[in-house]
Amino acid sequence: MGLFDRLIGWLGLKKEVNILCLGLDNSGKTTIINKLKPNNAQTQDIVPTIGFSIEKFKTSSLSFTVFDMSGQGRYRNLWEHYYKEGQAIIFVIDSADKLRMVVAKEELDTLLNHPDIKHRRIPILFFANKMDVRDALSSVKVSQLLCLDNIKDKPWHICATDALRGDGLQEGVDWLQDQIKSLRT
Amino acid sequence: MSEVSGDGGKWLDAHYDPVAGLYTFSSCVDLADLSGDGESRLVVGDLGSGLSGMKLKVFQGTALLSESTLLDLPTGLVAFFMDLHEPRIPAVAVASGPCIYVYKNLRPYFKFTLPGLEVNPVEQDVWQQVKEGQIDPLTMKEMLEGIRKKADVPLSVRSLRFLSLETDEMDEFVQLHKQQPIKRQTVITCVGTLKKSTADEDGVSCLVIGTESSNVYVLDPEAFIILSKMSLPAPPTMIDVTGQFDVEFRITVACRNGNIYILRRDSDKPKYSMELSSHPVGLVRVGKNVVVGCTDESLQGFTQKGKKLWRTTLPAPIITMAAMDLPTRGFQGVLVGLANCEVHLYRDKNLLSNIKTPDVVTSICFGRYGREDGTLIMTTKGGGLMVKILKRTAIFDDRDGTPGPPLAQSVRLNVPKKTKLYVDQTLRERENGVAMHRAFYMDLSRMRLAAAKAYVKALESSLTPMSSSLSEPLKMNAVVQGLGPTFKLTLNMQNTAACRPVMNLAISFLYDENLYRMRTPYLRIPLLVPGLIYPVETLVECTSDKGISDIIKVFVLHEGKGCPLLTAHINMPVSEGLMLN
Repeated sequence: MGLFDRLIGWLGLKKEVNILCLGLDNSGKTTIINKLKPNNAQTQDIVPTIGFSIEKFKTSSLSFTVFDMSGQGRYRNLWEHYYKEGQAIIFVIDSADKLRMVVAKEELDTLLNHPDIKHRRIPILFFANKMDVRDALSSVKVSQLLCLDNIKDKPWHICATDALRGDGLQEGVDWLQDQIKSLRT
Repeated sequence: MSEVSGDGGKWLDAHYDPVAGLYTFSSCVDLADLSGDGESRLVVGDLGSGLSGMKLKVFQGTALLSESTLLDLPTGLVAFFMDLHEPRIPAVAVASGPCIYVYKNLRPYFKFTLPGLEVNPVEQDVWQQVKEGQIDPLTMKEMLEGIRKKADVPLSVRSLRFLSLETDEMDEFVQLHKQQPIKRQTVITCVGTLKKSTADEDGVSCLVIGTESSNVYVLDPEAFIILSKMSLPAPPTMIDVTGQFDVEFRITVACRNGNIYILRRDSDKPKYSMELSSHPVGLVRVGKNVVVGCTDESLQGFTQKGKKLWRTTLPAPIITMAAMDLPTRGFQGVLVGLANCEVHLYRDKNLLSNIKTPDVVTSICFGRYGREDGTLIMTTKGGGLMVKILKRTAIFDDRDGTPGPPLAQSVRLNVPKKTKLYVDQTLRERENGVAMHRAFYMDLSRMRLAAAKAYVKALESSLTPMSSSLSEPLKMNAVVQGLGPTFKLTLNMQNTAACRPVMNLAISFLYDENLYRMRTPYLRIPLLVPGLIYPVETLVECTSDKGISDIIKVFVLHEGKGCPLLTAHINMPVSEGLMLN
């Protein structure tokens, strides 16, 4: 691995990784992606995504292409068309929306049981977002409610985040980068 | 949290709070985006205990957002847009008593009171006279009684209260109230909303009010003046409105006389009426049809002209009903809360989904709650709040819920088996049939003779406890009570004639004087009125200490005749009292 990585770095190329960013509407997917972009590329006002949008950002060794999907009910059936391309999944959860935690769980279950996802060992990063809201659930509680313990055949990680300030995002992306690198070799 | 229940996994259990303390009905629940941020809130007019604790509660997500006290018991609650101001924040109208309280931003904004009804001028005159001291309260009571019986305009509440008072309380009541003018108020029974001129989701709506005085009013949304007044044959209880006020509208009203009336634009009288076989408990419009739930556990569908389309029977009484409308999927159905703790979803007469609930559901509301479009909110009899979310992938197939022949057809009949004994018997019958027939007929004739002989003998000596004579039809039975040595003998006598009393009867007992002692071996019977049962009691004492029992004969005689009318033989039980000694 070391040699290959050094070669890539030496050539000035970065590996391209396709990521799917999923989650219910109003969970903060676009805000998170926006925050991961370099400061000069960030947009100021974020509106509900229509359909999906493709965003790019880079980390130290990887170049990410993110499919930022709309989470609205009527666009959720678009998700499965992009499952094949996805090499990693970011699943964003609104920790303050206790009522719709079951809906998030339901969508996660259908995602995990989809034939394009079920037998692939792709890393899933969960962002328990909106930690700044007063009565938000903790990331432990969120992972309990979503029954994340039942995911045995895929590497997963949950981070408590506040996408407005960017807290917790870097930790998650670092984990994702490590996972992708270890999968490649 | 999201385990699959009897509904086929179509609903996600989002939230259940069994101690939410919400006591309400479907007419007092609504969903509205009260802050204009795209998140719908649940607005509930909580009835409290029915006497106190009436509150306007607002829920957001799983938590209670705000709570404000209501002055009176709410009878209806609707959220509606009353103006075109931005942002589009709906007002909440709560109907209680004769008033409608309008809340904006959850603050009291306006109070609309229904106009008073006309007062009987004669009644007014009577109160005027008592005020001037021309008549005393007693005279006034008589005059008011007269008005109540004759006049077609009913009395005011004050006069009715006065009439119910005792004489000593009257004077005080008159002194207290004579200065105020008489008013007659009505109360609101149901509220609905009607779009003013556009069919948009956020168009301005008029309030439609049904009152106890059998009227329906349409109110202007901004000025709160009465735009239209319609009258009905009976007080309305449930209301459903479609259309636009300026274009064309239909108001479907279920009334307390068990009928449903349809009102239309440009007519102040009902256009169509549907007569139901039993009282309606729920009224829901699905598309162009009206679905009515009745007290006879049935669900009926009608066209908007009042023609009956279908009827289906439910397994339990209906508690509440609500419409389920999902425009994004083009789905419309009816949710029915039943007394057996189930909520059924019907499209036309087909059962699509059956939700089992831990308690009886008293109110149902379906719509957009929070950010989720297909949310079903139910409150239970015990005050619980339940939120379920329709799965994105749920598909309702229109197949009939009850497939195949009824279950009773597959039950095997209990036909007894035949053994070898039976087969041998039939063989014997086949061989000796003639002899068997003859022997049987000989025996049958003998038996008839013996029965007739015994019957004639019984008639001659009047041994039966039923009298067959036409002049004195009597019935008697005897009961022995007690363990001994003293027994209580009760004879129940009944005259079975249609309308003729029986007189001059007596009872005589025949018994072994060595064994029994009776204080009154001869009793006279009172006049027997037809139909009544007369118990005649006497005490029998057993004098023998040997544990012997005997028969006591009872004769009912007509005075002056030697032949008894009836006879009863009583087998006395063994006296246990002496044996114990």
